[in-house]
Amino acid sequence: MAALQAILNGILVGGIYALIAMGMALVFGVMRLVNFAHGAFLMVGMYVAYFGYTLFHINPYWGCALVGAALFMMGMAVYWLLIRRVMGQSDFLQILLTEGIALCLVGAAQLLFTGDYRSISLPLADKTANLGPLNFNVAYGVSFVIAVLGVTSMYLYMKYTEMGRAIRGVAQNPGVAPLMGIRVRWISGISFAFGVACAGGAGALLLPVFYVNPTIGSPYNLKSFVIVVLGGMGSVEGAALGGLILGVTEGLTAYYWSDSYTQVVDFVLFLAVLLLRPQGLFGKKAP
Amino acid sequence: MSRARFLPAVVFFGLLLTLPWWLRDAYLQQIVFRVVIFAILGIAWNLVGGYAGQLSLGHVAYFGIGAYSVALFHETWDWNPWLGTLAGVVLACLAALLIGSLTFRLRGPYFVLSTIAAAEILRLLALNLSFTHGAIGMIAPGFFEEPNGDRKTYYAALPLLFLAFALTVWTHRSRFGYYLRAIRENEDTAMAVGINPAVEKLKALLFSAALVAAAGALYAGVFQFIGPDSVLAIDMSVQMALIAMLGGAATVWGPIVGAVVLTVAAEALKTYLERAHTFFYGLLLVLVVLFLPGGLVSIAKQRWFRRTAPRAQAA
Repeated sequence: MAALQAILNGILVGGIYALIAMGMALVFGVMRLVNFAHGAFLMVGMYVAYFGYTLFHINPYWGCALVGAALFMMGMAVYWLLIRRVMGQSDFLQILLTEGIALCLVGAAQLLFTGDYRSISLPLADKTANLGPLNFNVAYGVSFVIAVLGVTSMYLYMKYTEMGRAIRGVAQNPGVAPLMGIRVRWISGISFAFGVACAGGAGALLLPVFYVNPTIGSPYNLKSFVIVVLGGMGSVEGAALGGLILGVTEGLTAYYWSDSYTQVVDFVLFLAVLLLRPQGLFGKKAP
Repeated sequence: MSRARFLPAVVFFGLLLTLPWWLRDAYLQQIVFRVVIFAILGIAWNLVGGYAGQLSLGHVAYFGIGAYSVALFHETWDWNPWLGTLAGVVLACLAALLIGSLTFRLRGPYFVLSTIAAAEILRLLALNLSFTHGAIGMIAPGFFEEPNGDRKTYYAALPLLFLAFALTVWTHRSRFGYYLRAIRENEDTAMAVGINPAVEKLKALLFSAALVAAAGALYAGVFQFIGPDSVLAIDMSVQMALIAMLGGAATVWGPIVGAVVLTVAAEALKTYLERAHTFFYGLLLVLVVLFLPGGLVSIAKQRWFRRTAPRAQAA
């Protein structure tokens, strides 16, 4: 029963992971860009949600949509100012650029907000609900539900709208897409902004259950790499499933071994997948 | 090769050797020491990241192995730091063999991510294992007794810098260096002309890891206190890359120029902006990538040789 409880905890966290990683997978799928600043954008989202709550009493649960929108704008700006200039250049420069952006964001947060740990306390966070013999923290539960809604709506958007089709078109073949009248640069910008918005929205959802400080993004950045590789680089559905798998793996590691070794297991899993099954757990073609 | 080409190196090392006589301020001497350490790191990273074009962001792993070896062997078997350094270099080479043979099979972003993962595993182990004392960190023995321990350590670091520099000069001109550059430009083509990329990349990584581990051991000996967040932090890997890129990747002088500029600038800014370190590094990285991918050395080259187009050195 305790193992089942560990799995449930893992699934609840995994839903948020899925939302974070989906953003990274989208950016990688469309632009072939590994966004090393993804975790930093999540941190920015957490701060936006934090100040939204403390200054304007905006509840992060419905505020996450606002945070997502704000981060979407920010993503657009970062794309047009910086990312656009290295598209088509080597991975080497692209990765260094996004790493530089990440350091700028973390550094700016340190300057503006100091390194203090900040958190908010929603009344929900103290409540526990039962699911049969299992129980879970209500705040986690609500965050999970909203994250799943986010992931699902994102998936449907990609599948059924004109914009979603255009995005998938660029991901499938950036050479042919412009021949079909798709403006690749525009779509790349939108995808990047969507990716950033996912990270930001997920940050808002993490806020009720976690603290925020300037370097909080780094572990989530690494986790989203792990998830994106698990799900197959660039596969948005794969990333959603990968998020759940990672959450459950962490839950079980914490239960059977130790809380402090969850990340070690993450990375070992990551290297194993990368070396033995580089196309991801569900992917078909090799990278 | 004309003799004049050696002149900058002779002047540079001459200045470093005579440093205590013309620079008396202890604070400034300490900055020069830091420049030396970072130059070694930049040069070492440059072999893999610059010449071979393999963007490793996990080099801090070898730094940490060097630093922790000094502290661990001292604590458990009371080894002196020199023996600890030797053990650290050997262990780092073994780690490089393992990590390299696994990660060099991957390319592009996959390679970068796998190097980060390897380094993070080490950091997390150091953070959680009992014999490394977790986040508390460890006390490392100094290399020399006081008085003048710092100066003696400085003179111990110089040969290492010279070794690293000589290795780069050799790499720059030797067949090995051309193999590495061929791999950087196009691994498949390199293979087609009979180069074994796996072996050459691994060779470069072994040299690199040995140097980085020795620098890590020196760091431990000087600061005498190490922890997972100081000697195994991912920021340190980024810093090594930044030093090489800022000066000019795949150039002999690039990492040295990068180390001088970065350390001096960081130190100058520190007085005014205590907490702006991270932001400053990030901004610098963004600017270098966007406006100066060839590094500072490329500006000088353009000036002196009147090249019409800058060579793409950071591919």
